[in-house]
Amino acid sequence: MTAGRATSTDDGSARWIEALNQQAAEIMAVFARAGFEPIAPDIIQPADVFLDLIGEELRGRTYVFSDPDGAELCLRPDLTVPAARIYQARNGMTGATARYCYNGVIFRYQELGADIARPREFRQAGLESFADADPARAEAEVVALTLEAIRTAGLRAFRLHVGDIGLMHALLAAVDMPERWRAQLRHQFWRPEAFRRCLARLSGPRHGAEHVPQDLLARLPSGRPKDAEAIVARHLDQHGLTVAGTRSVREIAAHLLELAEDAHAPALPGRIVDLFEAYLSIRAPASAATERVRALSARHGIDITAALSAFDARLALVAAEGVDVANAEFSAGFGRTFEYYSGFVFEVLAPALAEATPIGGGGRYDRLVEAMGATRPVPAVGAAIHTERLLLAVRGGRP
Amino acid sequence: MSGTSSQPLMLAVPSKGRLMDQVEARFARAGLVLRKPGDARGYRGAIEGLAGVEVSFLSSSEIVRQLRTGEVQLGITGEDLVREAVADADARIEFLHPLGIGRADVVVAVPAYWIDVATMASLEEAATRFRRRHGRRMLVATKYMNLTRRFFAAHGIADYRLVESLGATEGAPASGAAELIVDITTTGATLKANGLRVLEDGIMLRSEANLMASRGAAPALDAAASAAKAALLRRLGA
Repeated sequence: MTAGRATSTDDGSARWIEALNQQAAEIMAVFARAGFEPIAPDIIQPADVFLDLIGEELRGRTYVFSDPDGAELCLRPDLTVPAARIYQARNGMTGATARYCYNGVIFRYQELGADIARPREFRQAGLESFADADPARAEAEVVALTLEAIRTAGLRAFRLHVGDIGLMHALLAAVDMPERWRAQLRHQFWRPEAFRRCLARLSGPRHGAEHVPQDLLARLPSGRPKDAEAIVARHLDQHGLTVAGTRSVREIAAHLLELAEDAHAPALPGRIVDLFEAYLSIRAPASAATERVRALSARHGIDITAALSAFDARLALVAAEGVDVANAEFSAGFGRTFEYYSGFVFEVLAPALAEATPIGGGGRYDRLVEAMGATRPVPAVGAAIHTERLLLAVRGGRP
Repeated sequence: MSGTSSQPLMLAVPSKGRLMDQVEARFARAGLVLRKPGDARGYRGAIEGLAGVEVSFLSSSEIVRQLRTGEVQLGITGEDLVREAVADADARIEFLHPLGIGRADVVVAVPAYWIDVATMASLEEAATRFRRRHGRRMLVATKYMNLTRRFFAAHGIADYRLVESLGATEGAPASGAAELIVDITTTGATLKANGLRVLEDGIMLRSEANLMASRGAAPALDAAASAAKAALLRRLGA
């Protein structure tokens, strides 16, 4: 099915590669002119870094392998993480500003078979801005340069799609609920199905834990973890359960205590479930987005003015860069696919290609560098262009 | 493959181990005798009492591989091995008939003293808390890397890492090599003896040996091969 080469054209023609190289040179010139330093990260990357950041789901779409020494490696599935590694190595200690751009091949396993719009190896041209003192300005610049690069490559007609993970975080923070529920919902936001299940559980009649010994739960003293630990230890002892593993009794008792508190807490009101569902279904022109969200949150007596103002201020900056962002499409659920996104997200769609295969996109990822071991959070925003798709789109969908 | 002579129907069966014995016994109950090659000419055998079927004695992993590529048209092996090793298994391999042998469940098992974890949903909560507390993801020891990844994804569990384990997996939690395991079990006795408990909704797959057909690149069966395949299925009670 997908044996042998599965690049975009798969005919082994050098003409396609030459056209891509030509296009990449034009794109890189746009980025370099704006002051972004070209970098060339390794193609073979340590798998560990990606697995820690993205999780085991990575294995489902990445070529992971071992070298003769037993080290687990992968063919880079994107260039953002390798760029962040370079930043971390150079500036991790100082937190200094850095702006990188790149063009290089990346590799993705395509479970349903590779094809021209979903090749298993393709080139990404992109840019990443680390530790910029003015985040909104950095975002506007990244959007503007991405679109300028796309236009330079010869594509005139395209649509812009925007979102903002920060609005969801603001809603979650503003709604009244136990902190641990907020943490659970924030965590599951990236997995829509699990998020829905989590909401259903928290708002259901049995939002506590029905699977743990109820008599034990009832005996755990709220707010007294040490006593709870002793009670749990005694319970384990009485039931002949040996503690043999890395999770401590303290850890298990802490979880049980939370479950006991959940069981006593009133269920999450249905209107809050409705609020999240209504929010996540919002699709509107970007210029009308904040008004829609403001109206919705006002109906629920919630104030997220700061987040909405930040969204509008960013739109204004993007517009000032000459981008027709008022007509961009905003959707609240957009950006839920990559767990490292933390705020503004965008993608660029070409009419010649399907909705599911954008020609480029990116966003803010403020926690990535810290998750890689930096001593402090490093604000970061970046974007990448799928150069094969861009060339396809320029040519009206034919290679 | 040579031009006009008809293509024999090739059936791959396990060449060693408990499953081979069970396959032999299962065939015997159907009045069929697996005849192994008696000389050094290779691993080809035949079925006494059923003409037109060549038998290829192979290792389990090789059976899966040849079914995937279509080098053999038919094969007998565990469903677990196929679903683990073949992405999109149903599109590439047809499960013709379960044989009632080699039964085993692929299960998620945690230390029995984890009384706060009884279901996949509660495992998800525990995994999230574990990552926050220990600064690393929970480790899951298994030889079923792909099955586990898909099952955990379906349950919204992301805070874990896989550790490949090719033997004595059930000892991993106690030794500290992993926090929990995904393993195969028949009676659950080994898990229990190692202080482990299967989660209530943690049965990933109820597996048994199946007669399977490749949907792969092999040439379409000719009339004689089709007849032999139909006869084999009939005799095995499908």
